[in-house]
Amino acid sequence: MVGELQQPMLGGSLRADQIGVFRRLRWWMFCNSTHLMVQQGLLRLVTIIIGSTLIWGFVFAAAIVGFHFLGQRYPLTGDFVRLFLDPLFLSLSGLLVFSTGLILYSSLFAKAESAFLLCTPAGADQVFAYKYQDALTFSSWGFFLLGSPVMIAYGMVAHVPWYFFAFLPFFFLGFVLLPGCLGATVCLLVVNYLPRQRKWLLVAVVALILGVVGLWGYRVAQVARPEAWNRDMAYNLEDRLSLAQYPLLPSTWLTRGLRAVARQNLTDAGYYLTLLWSNGLFAYVVTAWLARHLYRRGFNRMVAGDLVMRRYGGHWLDRILAGMVGFLHPQTRLLVVKDFRTFRRDPVQWAQIVIFLGLMILYFANIPRMFGEQIEWSYQNSISLMNLTSTALLLCAYTGRFIFPLLSLEGQKFWILGLLPLRRERLLWGKFAFAACGGLLIAEFLVVLSDVMLHMTWLGMVVHILTTAVLAVGLSALSVGLGACLPNFRESDPSRIAVGFGGTMNLVAGLLFLLIIVGLMAGPWHVLGSLAEQGEVNTPLADWVVAIGLFMGLVAGIGTTVLALRSGVRALARMEF
Amino acid sequence: MIELQNVSKAYGTKIAVQDLSLSIEAGELFAFLGPNGAGKTTTIKMIVGLLFPTRGSVRLGGFDMQREGDRARQLISYVPDQPFLYEKLSGREFLQFIADMYGMPREHGRQRMAEMIALFGLSEFVDDLTERYSHGMKQRTVFAAALLHEPRVLIVDEPTVGLDPRSVRLLKDLLRKEAGKGVTVFLSTHSLDIAQELASRIGIVDHGRLIGCGTLAVLRKQASLDGSLEDVFLKLTEEANEERVGVQPSTASAIKSRTW
Repeated sequence: MVGELQQPMLGGSLRADQIGVFRRLRWWMFCNSTHLMVQQGLLRLVTIIIGSTLIWGFVFAAAIVGFHFLGQRYPLTGDFVRLFLDPLFLSLSGLLVFSTGLILYSSLFAKAESAFLLCTPAGADQVFAYKYQDALTFSSWGFFLLGSPVMIAYGMVAHVPWYFFAFLPFFFLGFVLLPGCLGATVCLLVVNYLPRQRKWLLVAVVALILGVVGLWGYRVAQVARPEAWNRDMAYNLEDRLSLAQYPLLPSTWLTRGLRAVARQNLTDAGYYLTLLWSNGLFAYVVTAWLARHLYRRGFNRMVAGDLVMRRYGGHWLDRILAGMVGFLHPQTRLLVVKDFRTFRRDPVQWAQIVIFLGLMILYFANIPRMFGEQIEWSYQNSISLMNLTSTALLLCAYTGRFIFPLLSLEGQKFWILGLLPLRRERLLWGKFAFAACGGLLIAEFLVVLSDVMLHMTWLGMVVHILTTAVLAVGLSALSVGLGACLPNFRESDPSRIAVGFGGTMNLVAGLLFLLIIVGLMAGPWHVLGSLAEQGEVNTPLADWVVAIGLFMGLVAGIGTTVLALRSGVRALARMEF
Repeated sequence: MIELQNVSKAYGTKIAVQDLSLSIEAGELFAFLGPNGAGKTTTIKMIVGLLFPTRGSVRLGGFDMQREGDRARQLISYVPDQPFLYEKLSGREFLQFIADMYGMPREHGRQRMAEMIALFGLSEFVDDLTERYSHGMKQRTVFAAALLHEPRVLIVDEPTVGLDPRSVRLLKDLLRKEAGKGVTVFLSTHSLDIAQELASRIGIVDHGRLIGCGTLAVLRKQASLDGSLEDVFLKLTEEANEERVGVQPSTASAIKSRTW
């Protein structure tokens, strides 16, 4: 018999309570995660803190040098500084729009948690607000990491009043709301009205952004010459950067507000701060209202419109790769192609590489524009070393993020590979060949492009090509070997495997390897070359030191590769699945 | 309590549910059966308001799911085939979250949590993080959360997968008890013996169409067969398939041919 059951609690009180419910949920998860991290993931925490501090310190040092350089010529609290701050904040707001939109898309539409929350009485706007705050925190992390050292350096060099530093976080917090809301709105609209075209739209937007940034960078590089700062060039530069100074842009409000504080004009500062916060909060309310009406609809449209069946099969890229690794055992070759196929069918994975690669190519290709066709030796020397290190860092990120998790991902389906008539070590060789081929292709291309653009000597190019080859092979071996020694079979998400204990160890080992190899192989050529140019060192002796450095780097690279792969093979042989 | 009127749902060119009408009363234990890809999960997702029907309407407790979904969801508990738990919460914190989300008064929530922890035998691990739970422990916690706020409609999708015989027995007793208390239980399962044992009415869906609905006796009559539910199910789905192949063109043309 049907019993008398309670009427549900409805209306405003429950909706108001939901804010508290989500706040408690976040607090519990924060406490538990922090406790776990301190207990089990201290190394990861320390690595994150050290890495962030290094990046912060590097940006801070570069900003201090830059502002000192400018401060000698122009008053830093004057209009001239806008030339730098406006484009900086406009670029950062573009990144914020993009990253908040992408993170929100993933957390609102692609996570099991969203489906769970949408089955509870939680209002769509409440779920959205909860996810939006997370996404904004995550995406603005980079903004604070890059924006705060620049502004603190500016404040220190420009001798601004103390309250400039106190105002900074309030300006930053108010500012991130607006691009965040724009990203969220775009995400909701795309999912609702263009659910099937969303991937192509993303590709088109990335291409458009790269194109616009490239064109803008090209136009700016045409007039900007670091070695020849003068008033005419400043006017030309201002003209080229006028887009970034549009008065209705929040980035302009931020720059004007901060400059007002620096000039101790608190009335203007308060006006721009209020402008940022009032518009930011209004945009947040509008976006939440939009989410209330569009989130569930979008979720439905995303799921319902996503069933375009495709016939998957061979691809010319697979055949090219199979040809490239034709010297390997057929079984190993098959494994290489299998890994590549999985990789290319996951755009989330390769899109990150493509974006970074695109940005680096754009920068390398524009080197002559920035420094002129006749680049000074000192610039050539330092910029080529910096480009080599950047490429090595990209390689390190690629192997850590994509190669290290490969073996852990096999764990859950090892019964397939484990039962095949296949020697276990072939698995490892397959992944190593896949990683090394990809790494070599990408890194060598970048380094050669950079050296050609910088008009490097053939000897310099040989040194860089050799260094890059050792780095690509060694980092691949480290990631594959450590991936077998420190696997994580519980996770199915490669990004989470990459940031776990094993992934962090791999990152630390990779960075150490990078420092040693660049230090041994490229370091002597750059340092001694510079000293020889100034006549401070004997040239034949310098050649010997460079050769010894290259040899030692080669030995270190081969040693690391052999050791890492041997440890990996042994660990894999002992492994139980 | 649950009412579907001429509900259809299309995923692009594929029709997942077609003209489905169904009415389930309060206190009824309704088993929803069908082969893989028949449209069971899509139907459930429309009932809980995760998906919207392309045509037709879904009402729950008198509320239209599309227009008054927030009110209707207050009445429901849904246990999906792959249940979700926050990995960085303990079982107790997760139960507290559910109690808060459904606006349960604090004291009543505490009392119900204690009851659920005792009923599902969670006390040994309830204060541990759920990321350390086994499948069975997770399933028990999810059921405890589902019943915590005393829902009027309980929707469960494949609840017995991965459970040991003891837990399956506990689950069957529980579903019976809940239906006895007046809760509408909508059970989607491949386990025909459980459906036969528990359900007061059974619905069979195939290729998005409801091909049979009623008590086991009614279904036997429809199939002109005096066998078990398994025999009846196989006969009805086979007949529906023959009829469909004879009537409908192949869906192969809808497949976008492209090498990727």
